[in-house]
Amino acid sequence: MNLTEQFILLQAPNPAAAENGRKLSKKGSFSAHSRTADDTLYWAECAGSGKNPYRVSIDFTSQDAPVCRCSCPSRQFPCKHALGLMFELLAAKPFETAEMPQDIADKRARQAARAAKKESAAAEPPKPKKPNTAARKKKLAKQLEGLDMAEKMVDELLSSGLGTLAGSSAQTFDKLAKELGSCYLTGPQTAFTRIALAVRTVQKEPAQADAAYNQALRLLVALRSTIKKGRVFLEGKLEAGDFSAEDSTLFEALGGVWKLEELNAIGSVRENAKLVQLSFDVSYDEAKKEQVERGWWLDLDRGDLLQTLNLRPLKAMKYVKGEDSRFDLIETPALYLYPGEGDRRARWETATTRPLFPEEQAKLPTLAQSSLAAAVKLTKGKIKNTLAPKFLAVLVPIGRLGKIGEEYLLEDPAGDRIVLRDRPEDGPGHACVERLSMLPKRLSAGSALFGLMFYDGRDKALCLHPYSVVTPKNVVRLQY
Amino acid sequence: MNLQPLYDVKERLEYAAIAGVSLLGEDFRLQRGLESLKPLAAASPVFGKIDAGLAKLLSAPADQRPGLLLDVLALVDAVAYTQAKTGMDGELEPLPVGSGQYRQISYGQIQPLLAALTTTGGGRVEVVNSAWERCADDFLDYRVLPALVGGLGDSYGEMADLCAQLLKKLGSSVVPVLKKGFDPAGKREMARRVEVLAAVEGAEAAPWLREILPGAKKDVRAAVIRALGADSGDVSLLLELVKAERGDSRDAALEALARQDGAEVRAFWEKELTAHSQSVKFLEPSNADWAVELVTAGLRQRLEKFLDGEKRPAYEDGTDLTAWCWSLGHKDAPATLDFWRWADSRMEEIDRIEDEKNHPCFFGVKLTDRLLDIMRHTGPGPLRDYCLTLFDRRPEMTRYLHISFQAALLSLPAAEVYDKYGSYILTKKPLLDKDRKETLNNVMLRALNDLYWNNRQGRHVIVAGQPAAQSLDARWIERLVHAACKPNMGHYYPFGGGDEVDGFDKNLAELANPNDPEQCAQLVPYLRRRMVETGSWYSYSQYLLRLGGSPKGVLGEAMKKGKPAAIYYVWFVLNEAYKVLPAAEVAELCREGLDAKQIRSQGREAAMAELALPWTIEQLKAGRPFPEWDEWNKMRP
Repeated sequence: MNLTEQFILLQAPNPAAAENGRKLSKKGSFSAHSRTADDTLYWAECAGSGKNPYRVSIDFTSQDAPVCRCSCPSRQFPCKHALGLMFELLAAKPFETAEMPQDIADKRARQAARAAKKESAAAEPPKPKKPNTAARKKKLAKQLEGLDMAEKMVDELLSSGLGTLAGSSAQTFDKLAKELGSCYLTGPQTAFTRIALAVRTVQKEPAQADAAYNQALRLLVALRSTIKKGRVFLEGKLEAGDFSAEDSTLFEALGGVWKLEELNAIGSVRENAKLVQLSFDVSYDEAKKEQVERGWWLDLDRGDLLQTLNLRPLKAMKYVKGEDSRFDLIETPALYLYPGEGDRRARWETATTRPLFPEEQAKLPTLAQSSLAAAVKLTKGKIKNTLAPKFLAVLVPIGRLGKIGEEYLLEDPAGDRIVLRDRPEDGPGHACVERLSMLPKRLSAGSALFGLMFYDGRDKALCLHPYSVVTPKNVVRLQY
Repeated sequence: MNLQPLYDVKERLEYAAIAGVSLLGEDFRLQRGLESLKPLAAASPVFGKIDAGLAKLLSAPADQRPGLLLDVLALVDAVAYTQAKTGMDGELEPLPVGSGQYRQISYGQIQPLLAALTTTGGGRVEVVNSAWERCADDFLDYRVLPALVGGLGDSYGEMADLCAQLLKKLGSSVVPVLKKGFDPAGKREMARRVEVLAAVEGAEAAPWLREILPGAKKDVRAAVIRALGADSGDVSLLLELVKAERGDSRDAALEALARQDGAEVRAFWEKELTAHSQSVKFLEPSNADWAVELVTAGLRQRLEKFLDGEKRPAYEDGTDLTAWCWSLGHKDAPATLDFWRWADSRMEEIDRIEDEKNHPCFFGVKLTDRLLDIMRHTGPGPLRDYCLTLFDRRPEMTRYLHISFQAALLSLPAAEVYDKYGSYILTKKPLLDKDRKETLNNVMLRALNDLYWNNRQGRHVIVAGQPAAQSLDARWIERLVHAACKPNMGHYYPFGGGDEVDGFDKNLAELANPNDPEQCAQLVPYLRRRMVETGSWYSYSQYLLRLGGSPKGVLGEAMKKGKPAAIYYVWFVLNEAYKVLPAAEVAELCREGLDAKQIRSQGREAAMAELALPWTIEQLKAGRPFPEWDEWNKMRP
């Protein structure tokens, strides 16, 4: 078995589980190491807190998606014992060849039967689903009703002024925002929650007032646009009696959640994609009360920048597997893309990983925009859209990096410059700019800088929040 | 194009949104902005649209204004974005190249480490230690290294010390990061940086230290001066500093001078010790010949003053002598032997020294304790050889037995040690020379108290950390279980649970090698007997199980003698027993526990035992495993 530490860490539901697994392996908790002759199944016993050891096994029938089984009562999957067994494998501990235990053989057979059934079901043409027209009509009507309410809320808020959003009026506002959720408008609902949070920041930290009001206003502008465009969108669908998913960002802005089959249905899928992660970060969304684990990826064939989002609601944090940085190349047979422009969100169901070949690594910086000016044009084009986020992920070629006074700057080979600055919205946890002056080596020629280009209202300039330096030899991450 | 009118309008619109659109019509600044925008509107269609939008907003009825305001603001924003500037003019100063290296460390590994190093809260030391254990090289990552240096200023001292310790282990690659942003006028963090630098670079740090010394303040100054001690070329500077500095900085200079050598240094210390006797504490770590000579000569001179009994030491003299005695440190240079020989020749007189209130000063005991400590911390050599024969030469000095016995443990074969010293443990009450024999017996028991079986190392170890030359002869255990004279050696709770164990029994149980059947065979019957005598069934049962014995047959009796027991402890002992004893024997232990009827009534535990113990017996008889605590706990009525 060719296991890597990174592979083990990626299997873990969270870093602590991996660490606990490593400790079990290190302190010698495992005994009776066994494996099948074909190297597809490894099992052992692991001493737990009880007197009987846990029986733990890893089935490598599918190399990239091992099946872990353990007799412990943990609800984490895989548990620390299975991860510990992987560390035993990584440490090349001796495993005796033995007959596969009957219970695992039975489970394997059942699993194979299920897989075969699924495969045969997939081969058959899907039965056309009969849409529940009445229900969908009712939902659209309810959403339109909700949009009216949202518009009223915006009007009332602006009539009295954002500054008045405090005390009982804030509570009423929260209550109304929650009602939008009942109207299937979770997008506007979240926007209102964010506005309330921004205004609360003003009350708590008056020094942050400018930034907080600015954020609230941008949200209101986007909300107004969502309401207007959403109404037209929904009314059009209602009139046309068309209830299918559409390739539109409005669907998500209103609170829709894309399913992979829906993305497939609108043709937003790309075959045999090869992706390399350029950066990874984690933030907390106070409005949605969830942890957002974001990966930034480069499509090796097309040069597109994509993002993946792993959303872990606080309440269900331990039941949703966490994501982590990836350093290997990901190859997926089907890459699903969310509607939008620029750094689109992507997902995949299955993927294999392998280390990058040197020529692939060398290709990465060549996939940068042709110049800084091209990246600036793209960014301006995107962020002026009221519904789009006010940043764009870009990969720009580096001519040189340097400082003027306290400001860091990137100059592209054509001599154009952009100020490098941490995006204030990201907070101190995402600070990267200072790290540019800590980079342990001089940048090799032909490198590129990956980051988020954004508009900074303080000096009315476009700036770049650097995330990674992409060189022909490696990707040097400024955060994770 | 001058876009200021656009930004003015944007600002007024945002202000209106915050203050409320009802006041929009009265905003004369917005009106003025609108006027300024007219030329731009005439020149460009997009500004024309903004102008029209504004006009519509201002003339609209109040209920339509919020929507219109946001529409105009959206347009203004879009124009502001497209008109955003980029870059900056001026000479571009190249970025410096940092230290360390880039390592592929995943978020899951690096983030907890960075958080531990840069935030506050509990559990951080464990995170850093685990990360170090997992991969020490990760600490060289260019993101981690500055955080580790920053950790030197952690308000939690243990964390700051850990960071310093790790930086020292990382070696010279940390030097540039430590020097970057160094502030000689800084606080503890900067002082720690100096300490780390000095430890990493040694004498090579001297030029940099000399360079920063003039600007160094308080803690940093003391650290810099202390660090200068690593370089033998700084004697004259240190001699100057010791004259000029005060307080901590002067102490640091003395500390640094204690590490130097040469006639000039010796002459300084002679003068310094004459003027400030307490400065001798700085010579404690030094093993240089001149330091040994000065300390031993000074100590001898101070003791001699009081030997004739005419002059009595005052309280200050006592403190002074203690400091000088302590300054012997771990000095084991051959030159110290002269001092020890002199002290031995005058030990009775030293023992007789009394203070002004006629209380004994115990200087002799302090000296002997120091000698024992030095011997235990240093390896083979003339000092240990001297200690080995100390009691033989002066058998009247009973406390020498302790030193000679431990020197023998460290040097001689186990059988030889027993043959020579075993008989000092009395197995019968002596009739003749009772006091001396009992004293020697007690000294031996206390000396044995410093010895224990280290399971991890698989050998006997003396408390200071040195292993005995050979594992203890099994005959010691036989002799000890028959010991007739046991001094009060305190009481302990080795397993918690309120179960008291006599110090002698604890030492004996921890002295025996559990892997030696002969020692276990000697000890098990003794511990079973003591279990019944004391009623401390919880602790003695665990000792017995550890030594391959069993509490069967005495558990019930001991429980009856002891206090009513918490049921969890009963379960714990039985569970421990199940790990090493056959199920049938554990079932019998359950029966004994049940029949003793000594489970406390609090928390319905007695009733619970009535249900759990018989059920467990049935389970064991049926070949099922010993139940988990949860299973017992569920039976609480």
